[in-house]
Amino acid sequence: MLEKTGVPTKEQIDSAFPSEERMKKGPFVVVECFQKIPCNPCFTACNRDGIKAFEDINDLPDVDHDNCNGCTLCVSKCPGLAIFVVDMTYSEDKALLKIPYEFLPLPQEGDRVMGLSHGGEEVEKVEVIKVQNPKGFDKTPVISLAVSKDKVKVIRSIKVPKERDRSEDEIVCRCSDVTLEEVRELIRTGHTTFDEIKKISRIGMGPCQGRTCSQLVIREIASITGQDPSSLLPGTYRQIVKSLEMGKVIEALEKEEQENK
Amino acid sequence: MKNVELLVIGGGPAGLCAAISAAEAGVDVLLAERDEWLGGQLVKQTHMFFGSEKQHASVRGVDIGKLLVKKVEEYKNVEVMKNATVLGLYEDRVVTIQQDGNYVKVNPKSVIITTGASEKTLVFPNNDLPGVYGAGAVQTLMNVYGVKPGNKVLMVGAGNIGLIVSYQLMQAGVDVEAIVDASPNIGGYLVHASKIRRMGVPILTRHTVKEAIGKEALEAAVIWELDDKWQPIPGSEQKLDVDVMCISVGLTPLSELLWQIGCKMEFVGELGGFVPTRSDKLQTSLDGIFVAGDVAGVEEASSAMVEGSLAGLSASSYLGYKIDVVKELERDYLNQLNDLRSGPVGEKIRQGLAKALISEQAANPGQGS
Amino acid sequence: MRIEDHPVLEFKRGKKISFTYNGEKVEGYEGETIAAALHAAGVQVLSYSDRHRPRGFYCAIGNCSSCFMEVNGESNVKVCIEPLQEGMDVKTQKGKGEIV
Repeated sequence: MLEKTGVPTKEQIDSAFPSEERMKKGPFVVVECFQKIPCNPCFTACNRDGIKAFEDINDLPDVDHDNCNGCTLCVSKCPGLAIFVVDMTYSEDKALLKIPYEFLPLPQEGDRVMGLSHGGEEVEKVEVIKVQNPKGFDKTPVISLAVSKDKVKVIRSIKVPKERDRSEDEIVCRCSDVTLEEVRELIRTGHTTFDEIKKISRIGMGPCQGRTCSQLVIREIASITGQDPSSLLPGTYRQIVKSLEMGKVIEALEKEEQENK
Repeated sequence: MKNVELLVIGGGPAGLCAAISAAEAGVDVLLAERDEWLGGQLVKQTHMFFGSEKQHASVRGVDIGKLLVKKVEEYKNVEVMKNATVLGLYEDRVVTIQQDGNYVKVNPKSVIITTGASEKTLVFPNNDLPGVYGAGAVQTLMNVYGVKPGNKVLMVGAGNIGLIVSYQLMQAGVDVEAIVDASPNIGGYLVHASKIRRMGVPILTRHTVKEAIGKEALEAAVIWELDDKWQPIPGSEQKLDVDVMCISVGLTPLSELLWQIGCKMEFVGELGGFVPTRSDKLQTSLDGIFVAGDVAGVEEASSAMVEGSLAGLSASSYLGYKIDVVKELERDYLNQLNDLRSGPVGEKIRQGLAKALISEQAANPGQGS
Repeated sequence: MRIEDHPVLEFKRGKKISFTYNGEKVEGYEGETIAAALHAAGVQVLSYSDRHRPRGFYCAIGNCSSCFMEVNGESNVKVCIEPLQEGMDVKTQKGKGEIV
């Protein structure tokens, strides 16, 4: 498969990862170098014996994950851009994935960009945590990404929009300041009814009660899921349609009580 | 007529290293380069090189070029002729050169030929349409002059050059629609293939070009699939909207000068075509005529550099310059070459070299070694 | 068609110079070849062969014959390696060109 398409097999990728036990201990290197070529800069770059000395320069890198601390020195040195660093201890639900990335524009810290698989397919939106591009990396920047833990063997690249993605500046819900990108992300992650989106994002629960935004949300659901907009239900309409002071309710109640006396 | 000790023809990686190594031994060197700059094709290699520290691994080719040029320029005993095309190499060892339009004759005691290689091409309908370019040409346009070749590219050939140029096109902001290769497997290093694939570019093995379409320039390309007998499968055609097609189907040694002077030539497919027979220290069948780099057999630039250093050393010895460490250096260069060629990807080169190598005695009858 | 931002390379362009292409004024930079300047200006067809087939450059390093143009009245100039100069008169070549 690798030699026909450039995409390594699951077995090959698995073989580049350390034991579950080691993964729990902190950052480690993933060397996806599966073909014997005359090349050893990864060994030269490592200063803690994480990559063993080559007996023959054509050998595949021999990684010692017990010595490796995921320092990332080797990532920008690999001419094949085949080295990544993974930290499963990054947070409760996310892992940190470091990738070499030699394209412009570079993403910026805090950006949410699409993570791509070994085959270039879109996987999930990931957050850019850090962009390192010091002189010593010699124009091979290293990008740190927060990815879902079950995607550390899947995501290997990112798609950075050539024009800065403006969907973060596109507001769907004025009441609660919800952006188009946030709505799309909810739909992509399986929230495909207005009510689900409403309950998570507060869209439709603000002062306008959905008068501004519901059509926009319905349109996005239709376009992403491929459904006919006419088949999509609007959210549940609850009383009241306009904001009202609680005191007025009480006043009215008291007035009613007195009249009934 | 200009008398020189050593003439190095070609200022690419092999020629630069040959000049440096001979100059270091004390030889007076004349280096003739047809372009206006030194470095050969290194000037357009923006990727990091493979190999080990000794061959500047993990440094970008363009920067290796700068390093070597700087070194050559430091030697007072190296004279560089730029914009100087060697026109002919004659049996009496006279060399004719055209420099800046002028005709110059040179009489060297020894010659190292490092003329490199030229790109092979393909035949299909409309293969001469503007927009159908050699991969090297696209690299020059993009990386030397900073001009995009077009907007959407079909790359023909998944060897190292095809893969690297595809990657460089993407870095320049050009879309690569697909990479096709007639072989069942990707020919280049798989790490190069993977880094392109993960940016979403399909690599289609067992596919080739059926035709180029366009009136004044390329407007589209039709590709089709090949069966396991390399025959196109009718009905498998796909039309791609591209304005550039990049041909990268291998290199062949640029060996005219070797033929002219009468070096023994051998056809070795593994090395890209006709190559000169040579000793392990790179002397051809003719006394004092040495070769290095792609003209001796198409390989990676890392090997070309080591071969250049070795040929420079051999020419120095031939010219009578004795340096103490010659044996040690020779062993080091031979070991480096051996290392670079010893793995599975070097198998083809090893097979090729076995056909081109002749023993020192046979290479140099009457003189021995 | 010019690359402005590049992740690895920095293009230091020479001073702007102008030349004519089939009589029309075109601009390029000092230090580049005629072919590079024309390509940047969107010109791909450099010549027409004997059989009137349009031709662009092919090798860009002076090996082949695909890029012959008429420059300052001289035919068969390899524009892929010919440095651009101020005021050059560059014309599409037809067939083998005039050899005076």
